[in-house]
Amino acid sequence: MNRPLDLYDIQGNICKGYGRFGFPKARYFFLEFHDYAGGRNFLQQLIPLITTAEPWTGRKQPDQSDKPAATTNIAFTYHGLCALGLPRRSLDGFPQEFKMGMKPRAAILGDNGPSSPQHWDPVWQGDTVHAWVSINGQTQETVEQRFADIEALMQSVQGSVSIRPGHKGPDGKMLPYQDASAVFENGKATPKEHFGFVDGIGNPYFEGCGNDPERLPGRGKLNRDGKWEPLATGEFILGHIDEAKEYPLAPEPHLLARNGTFMVYRKLHENVKTFNDYVDNMAKDFDGSRELLMAKFSGRWPDNGAPLVLAPDDKAKAELDQKMAELQKKAAEGDACAIGQLKALEEQWINFTYNDDKHGAKCPIGAHIRRTNTRGSLETEKGAFDRPGALVDRRRLMRRGLPYGGHDELTNDDSEQGIIFMCISASIERQFEFVQQQWVNYSNDFHLGNDRDVLIGANNGKLTDKHIVQVNPKEGKAPFFCTHMPRMVETRGGDYFFIPSITALDMIAQGIIDPT
Amino acid sequence: MSNVAGKAYGMNVLTPLRWWTALWQKLIFWVVVKTFPYFLKGLLTLSLIHYARWTIINRWSFPRLDKSQPKEKLSYSYMLFESNFNGSWDQYIDSFSFAIPSGLDMFWRWNIKYPKSIPLHDFYNYIRFNQIESGHYYNAYPLAAANDVKTAQKLFTNLGTFQQNIANLNDEEFLQAYQQFLADNQHSLGSMGESPLMSASHELVQEHQHANIMMARAAGKQEA
Repeated sequence: MNRPLDLYDIQGNICKGYGRFGFPKARYFFLEFHDYAGGRNFLQQLIPLITTAEPWTGRKQPDQSDKPAATTNIAFTYHGLCALGLPRRSLDGFPQEFKMGMKPRAAILGDNGPSSPQHWDPVWQGDTVHAWVSINGQTQETVEQRFADIEALMQSVQGSVSIRPGHKGPDGKMLPYQDASAVFENGKATPKEHFGFVDGIGNPYFEGCGNDPERLPGRGKLNRDGKWEPLATGEFILGHIDEAKEYPLAPEPHLLARNGTFMVYRKLHENVKTFNDYVDNMAKDFDGSRELLMAKFSGRWPDNGAPLVLAPDDKAKAELDQKMAELQKKAAEGDACAIGQLKALEEQWINFTYNDDKHGAKCPIGAHIRRTNTRGSLETEKGAFDRPGALVDRRRLMRRGLPYGGHDELTNDDSEQGIIFMCISASIERQFEFVQQQWVNYSNDFHLGNDRDVLIGANNGKLTDKHIVQVNPKEGKAPFFCTHMPRMVETRGGDYFFIPSITALDMIAQGIIDPT
Repeated sequence: MSNVAGKAYGMNVLTPLRWWTALWQKLIFWVVVKTFPYFLKGLLTLSLIHYARWTIINRWSFPRLDKSQPKEKLSYSYMLFESNFNGSWDQYIDSFSFAIPSGLDMFWRWNIKYPKSIPLHDFYNYIRFNQIESGHYYNAYPLAAANDVKTAQKLFTNLGTFQQNIANLNDEEFLQAYQQFLADNQHSLGSMGESPLMSASHELVQEHQHANIMMARAAGKQEA
């Protein structure tokens, strides 16, 4: 159980959500390689800057922190690997969806209407992007310093590598990079996105990930006896056994794939005004607060992310808040008992199931978090499957990324704000594309026909674009219907990337990938 | 040729098994269905399955078009697996294999070279190798998956009953009855719509079919 991985060979963004480790600022930019040799020379110089998944001892004691001031990671598209001169046989071994890239998969992903690729930022138009580079920093200055360092490296290879410009920035200006940042409230970074929800809770826990085992309950895979086990490493990292007891589909040679993985990058624009207007309009007829209605969309209370199964209505939420406040106060005074109780309570943010909520009276069956992480709720008949979570354990996503743009006073639909959504998985098709297509934009598995996710579904404001807020049928109340749902989130670009291990990156840089 | 029609995918898999194990397996199927229906609970709970059927065909009982057609001399008996489901081939095999691997092994255990349902890719290859593509596949309700049909039937029946019971209600009673009706049927109110795209390959086929129709129309106009 929990076998150690070679965290020094694995890129850091795979195992760490940098935001959670005190890096609220980020810059993403995209490269184009113009010749093999120069491109490889650049990579060789870049390798020392790449952040690995090595544990940072100082996380709990900031004074002794061995965290870097800024992190750097790199990943490649299929065209990027071609441009770097990988042998044909290695290229052929990559999965089909990765080779196609994101644009030709638009119909599968629901990227239609305003999300169609022709409306994406210019960086995604025309020729394909070759590589993605990310910098995360503890401050904006450290991000910019690292960016300058990498620009200098690019200059040293004299035009062999360039940055592809064309990211739509705050004033409609085109920028050569995409900046992202946690949303700040009163000068403090928060885990919120621009609709006002606390985001990024509930990332999966896998064997060897190096995270604190206390984080396992609610994040792993659910056993028949209600306990949680780490997911198999191969669900997230290539070259390791996955949940189907085999090695994930990967290119040859093994050293190219092992300890690498795939990443989806999507710039998701948030129509904040549309969202707020819709919530205001629906809240007029809703039996409960505006916050409760928002929670019925996402499955979590917007302000603190408490799951609806823990606090299903306004009264329960008020009681929960009061209990939390009391425990926090006592804990701050050093009351050991309160500290323990607080920890146990906070664990319930993530460690829960829908076993007591079959009707969706607490958390609607079509709520965002219940769709995207079903936690065993698809086993509608107990004991039907070999494991309660059989249908979700192979569909998990490691979400990364940060919000971009947005200021409270400026956010309407036209201003630039949203989420840079990145997710990591061993199979883009089986994990990300499945969740996006079957669970976000379709509902057969939930017995809800063609209904879509309120928040990120490809809705078009029609009567049938709806979300049902279910009730307990014994209470005599009618379910609440949210109809005419508009497109809250629009795709503005993205692609599929391969994140190589440090070993593979070094081999690519040296030009010695040899599947013979 | 297409294995896809509307929201349904049609799959036929013909796998060989030794004639004496075929007899044995028939007995097992019979016992399972009669005595241990809970073995089938997984199948029934997998909501993407429209229909699944396993048939054992003895090596001497393969159908002939006519008595004049000579009998084939077969070395093996065969198991015919027919299924209709909502979703793509991969999604179906994935869900099947994740959710009820032991159930699948029970059905196919005695088939020649059956690799077991986990690890997945051996099972993938086994099904692909033995699958017979559909020459023609018709779907009367292309916008409906089996769940949609089942919920619509339930809603239709319940709405009929509701209609019969409301004639003598005053406004307030009607409101209450209507709200209760909605609550009782809240799981039968999903929207109806087109199937999600099964694959990028199928998208190409759809484009080609559309182009074919447009060309045929244009040719028709010219002739007229």
